[in-house]
Amino acid sequence: MGVILRLKKFSFTYPEVKTPVLQDLDLEIEAGRCYCLTGPTGSGKTTLALALKGLLCAGKHEGEIYMPSVTDSTPMAVGMVLQDPEVQLLTSSVGAEVAFGLENLCVDPADMPERVVSALQAVGLEKPLDYPVDKLSMGQKYRLLIAALLVMKPLLLILDEPGAQLDPEGLELLRECLRRLKQDGVSIILCEHRPDSLLSEIDTFLQLDGSGRLAEGRYQGEKFAPSSPPFSAITEKETVLRVQDLSFIGVGDQPVWSQVAFTVDRGRRFSVTGMNGTGKTTLLRCLAGFLSPQQGEIEILGGAPDAYRLRGRLGCLFQNPQKQIFENTVGEEIAFPLKRFGLLNGTVEERVAEALAACGISHLIEQSPHKLSYGQKHLVALASVLAPRPELLLLDDPLAGLDDDHSRAVMELLVHYNVQHGTTMLWTFHDPDAWPGWADQVLHLEGGRLAPR
Amino acid sequence: MHLGKLFSMRKVSLAAVSLETPVPAGDAKWVGLRMLLALTLSCLAFTAPSVPFLLALTVVNLALLWYLGNGQISLRRELKAFVWQTLVILVLYLIRFQDLGGLWGGFKISWQLFLALLPSMVFVRSTSQTRIVQALNRIMPCRMAFVLSTCLKFAPQLLAEVRSIYEGQVLRGARILPRDLVKPWHWLDLLHCVVVPAVVQCMALAGNIALAARARDFGSQPKRTCWPGL
Repeated sequence: MGVILRLKKFSFTYPEVKTPVLQDLDLEIEAGRCYCLTGPTGSGKTTLALALKGLLCAGKHEGEIYMPSVTDSTPMAVGMVLQDPEVQLLTSSVGAEVAFGLENLCVDPADMPERVVSALQAVGLEKPLDYPVDKLSMGQKYRLLIAALLVMKPLLLILDEPGAQLDPEGLELLRECLRRLKQDGVSIILCEHRPDSLLSEIDTFLQLDGSGRLAEGRYQGEKFAPSSPPFSAITEKETVLRVQDLSFIGVGDQPVWSQVAFTVDRGRRFSVTGMNGTGKTTLLRCLAGFLSPQQGEIEILGGAPDAYRLRGRLGCLFQNPQKQIFENTVGEEIAFPLKRFGLLNGTVEERVAEALAACGISHLIEQSPHKLSYGQKHLVALASVLAPRPELLLLDDPLAGLDDDHSRAVMELLVHYNVQHGTTMLWTFHDPDAWPGWADQVLHLEGGRLAPR
Repeated sequence: MHLGKLFSMRKVSLAAVSLETPVPAGDAKWVGLRMLLALTLSCLAFTAPSVPFLLALTVVNLALLWYLGNGQISLRRELKAFVWQTLVILVLYLIRFQDLGGLWGGFKISWQLFLALLPSMVFVRSTSQTRIVQALNRIMPCRMAFVLSTCLKFAPQLLAEVRSIYEGQVLRGARILPRDLVKPWHWLDLLHCVVVPAVVQCMALAGNIALAARARDFGSQPKRTCWPGL
């Protein structure tokens, strides 16, 4: 197989940053092979993918990228699916979504439907062309995005973190899709923290170790055993959360889940797993009093779910917690809730120092939280939720987007607060097999029902 | 390269999609007319001279809602927003005029605002995005048409982001619940904790959408063609 793309001494530095995120990279991509780019959060995997697609704008780059020339039969050299499928679906129907790229290439509208249908067949997504995009599952949306690139006949397909978005069935269909693409000579680069589910299709591992250098092999991070965390701090049996016969009807009168029932005792660690779109976030919003279920009862911390009453006693970390950051320094960000809860200045300083130390980010206290890396922002947001020492903490997919090292740091921090301060924890994960043994009880949400796993 | 295998052509039957004409001109005109009607009704709401005129406009809007939405569009959320909006405006009028006589004026303003927004909401909910782009392509550059229609599509997601930030900050202690905001000195929390992160989030979302469009070669050609289906 021939080389279709080559990087020679390629370096890239973001504006206002001294150290290059990519440094002197040499890389050759061969046709029909699947590469997996590994590395810790912030090591430059997405930056390299954007460079290969030609989407890096601001910043200083050196070295060369040799790309295949664009022809009539290959109108797009490199196709790329970014991390979050939701922001990449730009139209409202399946047909229009796949045709978006053809519209941009000025393809005759009369030629579009046949090409669109072929691309949908190639990813195993046979839906009517006017089928609403909103009604697809996350796995279907991801395959739709791949079809939207295949229709443009790329030589190289880059998938950024596909494993984070797909359930086991979605991953199996993706594996089949990758196999067919390789047979047809399309090269693939997967940027992936946890590539285990796609191992059978990966030919070559590449790693960015965080220093900007690229090498062959798989990034392993620090070795650690994810099992045997300390026992949760159970002093006496007291129920802090009781949910009975809860049902929620979503948009279009579709039931999200029904007859949900469980109890959580003080000091316990409780896990709810379920794939994207199964209603985990909706459940947490109901528990916090921001949504009203159509049926059933919730008793939380001795009363009905009411955000006004629960303020200071209930902590909540919603998905992508970095977006809640607004203060000028890390210290102020963590102190904000403590001041609002009326703690004295001395106590505020003490709690801020304690939360920073527990998160291992004491050195960042004077820095702007807006300029930190993704993983560091995540820890700052978590520290600001933990600092007031809530009685009950709800965490919505707290490890989303984090590599193994940061994930471990977060999990250890949660267990530390659980054991040290008796904070009851309820966290959600989309992977049903994530962190086995770290929760006292695991419930799985599937098909609108919550059941023990 | 053997991409041919992947794109093996076959006869496609697409009953729901008319492929006879590249862009259904009649449809685009009809969508354009609906858009114009929505704009006209909105303008009339702002310039309504009297209460009977507002009443008549309300009837026209409801008839349009029924006709375009086939009786399927629910206005529950919008009516809830109207009630809140009216309450806020009435409180502000009370503070400003310190007299119950000012309340009627406040209610009328709220009514006009609602009627100004309603036609656009009905239009967006009852028209597919592809049809909107096809109609806009006839009156403005195709890139601008895409940007406008994308803004409409992502508006609900943006609201969801703002809502998520708001809920997170409430539990972090920000005094931004409706009962907190009765005290004007708590409004600063709303600005700092919700508006600032929401603006940052909006910019990030806009950046991500633009990147996704460019990843599929949007802007690589001076013009675009248009998908003929829905």
